[in-house]
Amino acid sequence: MGSGDKWVDRNSGPVVRPYALTGGRTEPADGEVLDLITVIVAARTAGEIDDAIRLSPEHRKILGLCRRQVTLADVASDMALPVGVVRVLLADLIQEGRITVVPRRAGGQQPSTDLLKEVLHGLHAL
Amino acid sequence: MGSTLSDGGADGPLTAFKIVIAGGFGAGKTTLVSAISEVRPLNTEEALSSASVSFDDLSGVGSKTTTTVAMDFGRITMGARLVLYLFGTPGQERFWFMWDELCFGALGAVILADTRRLDDCFPSVDYFEKRQLPFIVAINCFDDAPHYDPADVRIALDLDPRVPAVLCDARQAGSVKQVLITLVEHILSSRSSGGSEPWPTQAATGSRL
Repeated sequence: MGSGDKWVDRNSGPVVRPYALTGGRTEPADGEVLDLITVIVAARTAGEIDDAIRLSPEHRKILGLCRRQVTLADVASDMALPVGVVRVLLADLIQEGRITVVPRRAGGQQPSTDLLKEVLHGLHAL
Repeated sequence: MGSTLSDGGADGPLTAFKIVIAGGFGAGKTTLVSAISEVRPLNTEEALSSASVSFDDLSGVGSKTTTTVAMDFGRITMGARLVLYLFGTPGQERFWFMWDELCFGALGAVILADTRRLDDCFPSVDYFEKRQLPFIVAINCFDDAPHYDPADVRIALDLDPRVPAVLCDARQAGSVKQVLITLVEHILSSRSSGGSEPWPTQAATGSRL
């Protein structure tokens, strides 16, 4: 492609290395690698204050963002943190039962034809 | 922020889809995504692959083994339950390792072609063919680029006759919308024609929770 030389690193990067926020952990605690569009939501039964002290500010911010259904990509973008870092932090919250993964409709890896038709209708309606 | 706790109940579960927007560096991927959706930045901190190490000058950075890849994505909300995400692929060859993640679970892909640099599309065509991910080619009509018939582009890229190739203006929401519609229709028609089409493991009875 020959375009590699056009790539310019605009950011010299954050002062604190991203994985410092995870205590150096680069793998999610449960070993589950969430897809970018995995939908997550804060567990509704979760207590608000009890363990707030144990949670890092980043954990708490994620919990706040997950009060409505969002995706991993949304959270990473809102947090302005690399996806890999957010994966690790999310896994902590999932393990603690503070956040749940919303199951995909229609099961399976690929969406059903009906769902595709819904997407098609949605596009037409834009 | 006013919707606290309401989404999970009345509106039912949110379903997210993604479409991958591929194409060479400068083909207009970000323009296309921003024409039809709110664009948001996304960073990944990725391990440097051995391929990328040869491209990156690592002298003086000691044990650096990761690199930050900055990307954009678009989010299109369709009613209360459906959200469509558009992910642009990083345009550089050395970021190939990102493609697997981006394409995992994707509905399909749009290869945005710049007729001045058609050969930039070859890696994308190869990749999606190998992955059996349904794709279409959208030829971005730059003002100063020669205008080709889509049929010629199809020949130049040696596309499977079933793969649609359409003209588009990546700056125009209406045009981009038509591109996405073409892709979803292509996915649907390749399903109904069955046989050797992609979707080898279409889960008719996917009982995974």
